[in-house]
Amino acid sequence: MSVKALYDYEFPSMDRAKLFGEDLLVYVHWEGNPIFCSAVCFRVPKTMRFGEFVTSFVVPWAESDPDFDHEAMKHWRIFDEPLDVADDKSLADLGIGHKALLTFAG
Amino acid sequence: MSIESPRAAPRKKLPLKERYALLTRDLDWEPSYVDREQLYPFTRYEGIKVHDWDGWQDPFRLTVDAYCKYQAEKDRRLYAVLDGFAQGQGHLTLSDASYLNSIKLFIQAVTPLEYAAHRHFAFLARHLEGPAPRFAALCQSIDELRHTQTQIHTISNYNKYYSGFHSWSKMHDRVWYLAISKSFFDDAMSAGPFEFLIAISFSFEYLLTNLLFVPFMSGASFNGDTPTMSFGFSAQSDESRHMTLGLEAIKFLLEQDEDNVPIIQDWVDKWFWRAYRLSGLVAAMMDYMLPKPVMSWKEAFELYFEDQMLGGLFPDLDFYGIRPPRHVDDAIAEKEHLSHQVYKILHNFSSVAAFTTKTPDHVHLDWLSEQYPGTFDTYYRPTWEKHQRIEAGGGRMFFRGLPQQCQVCQLAISFTEQDDRRKISFRRSEFRSETFHTCSNGCKWIFDREPEKYVQAWLPVHQILKGDCGGPTIPDVLAWYGIQTGDNGEYNGSPDEQFWRAWHNPSLRHGE
Repeated sequence: MSVKALYDYEFPSMDRAKLFGEDLLVYVHWEGNPIFCSAVCFRVPKTMRFGEFVTSFVVPWAESDPDFDHEAMKHWRIFDEPLDVADDKSLADLGIGHKALLTFAG
Repeated sequence: MSIESPRAAPRKKLPLKERYALLTRDLDWEPSYVDREQLYPFTRYEGIKVHDWDGWQDPFRLTVDAYCKYQAEKDRRLYAVLDGFAQGQGHLTLSDASYLNSIKLFIQAVTPLEYAAHRHFAFLARHLEGPAPRFAALCQSIDELRHTQTQIHTISNYNKYYSGFHSWSKMHDRVWYLAISKSFFDDAMSAGPFEFLIAISFSFEYLLTNLLFVPFMSGASFNGDTPTMSFGFSAQSDESRHMTLGLEAIKFLLEQDEDNVPIIQDWVDKWFWRAYRLSGLVAAMMDYMLPKPVMSWKEAFELYFEDQMLGGLFPDLDFYGIRPPRHVDDAIAEKEHLSHQVYKILHNFSSVAAFTTKTPDHVHLDWLSEQYPGTFDTYYRPTWEKHQRIEAGGGRMFFRGLPQQCQVCQLAISFTEQDDRRKISFRRSEFRSETFHTCSNGCKWIFDREPEKYVQAWLPVHQILKGDCGGPTIPDVLAWYGIQTGDNGEYNGSPDEQFWRAWHNPSLRHGE
């Protein structure tokens, strides 16, 4: 079913990948930690290496929980699938696309 | 010479029914040089069939002169209360300054919706085809404008003494949590006139009105806020007229043609869920933001929705072939969880809001444990106690970053699965090779029904990351939102809290 209107109802998406150029929006969810109400949303370059992404984006966010332990981050997933992470691979190499949801356990 | 006026014979007063007929329906005419479809261009494309506009029953039979007389009288009474409260420094007799956070939420989120309703009912007052529904819409349009004004006048008194009340209109257009209420109404206003009637008059003003408004007014009464309570009373007779309009609208449309039934069922399904998700803010307010709580969200939901609507209204609508809203069972299953999950969002993010929050103290936690005996101690109390430990050590945990938002309701995606209340319920759809995230079965169903509409959603988080909200840093965004230092953050130690203590203990000066 689509929108009923008096004219052709055709508009581009507000947050389509093109508008972010060489960057992506990526969500990160710390599974099972209710001190954070939801996943966090970052804008990051596609070419950023995963290790740097974790160190410069995910860790500063996760550290607002005083019990956070960097070493304990494990079981990365992308949506519902396991994600085989490697610090020196870029986000694009790991298959992380625009508005992907990453999850880890800590 | 003098002119004598002819002595008029005493005029016979017409009975109400006749006066109403002369002053409303009798003022209508058949167009002669354009056809009806040109005169009323919006009443056909939604697929709704109306065969007889005169079938609309107006149970109020209100005329303009009677309407103005009633409303003027109500205004006089309200403004007397406002004057008395202001002159007597009534704000000092509130239960606590933290109570006003719920009123900040009200003026930022609800008052602009009253104004939006005023605009759109004026549109209906022009574009519905029958004179009776047009007149009902006209009265409601004026009501909504009056509500906007009385709310502004009532609440402006608090702006003299407390933070967070100064830029609510600009905030409504810009601030992340106000996108929840703004997007709800924008969705309705950008629909056709019949969908708007089912969305606002029926689903919002009939199905959920008691859940959306009564808690604010009862909260005001319990917490010493006589002015807010008085505008609540002043609006109450209008609201009952609006509820009747909502009920009349749905019955009229259902009676006109059987083909209307599935279209209306679809709208009831959609708008119940949208209004219910919006009510999450009220749930958080009721359980967490009132120093003297009225009743729990769960109790209010059971009374106002399960008993009155599912138990009372829907058996009547069954006659027309209308069943209870799709996803209503998800809402019932969520009643023990909704308020805790939504307040967690507000508590995590009040650093970037125009209100303050605090971690519930032990007395408050005990109250919540009593209200939610089966769930609170298992799922929510441990996290609040962790916040207490962090604060005992001098910290305050805020979410350092931006949340993932639902493409439809625009709340942070914070709700959990029915079969595992510790697991966030992520839903997603693919449309034109792009991923869209929703928070629940209800929001996903709404997205999938009209993806072309929701891909245009102005999601505050993505807009900030695009750089369209004043700049790249948090202070840039706060400045663009119109949020000033002291409006936001933690309640304890905030300007509101410090002033309040100083006013009640003259030996303290501000800041001590």
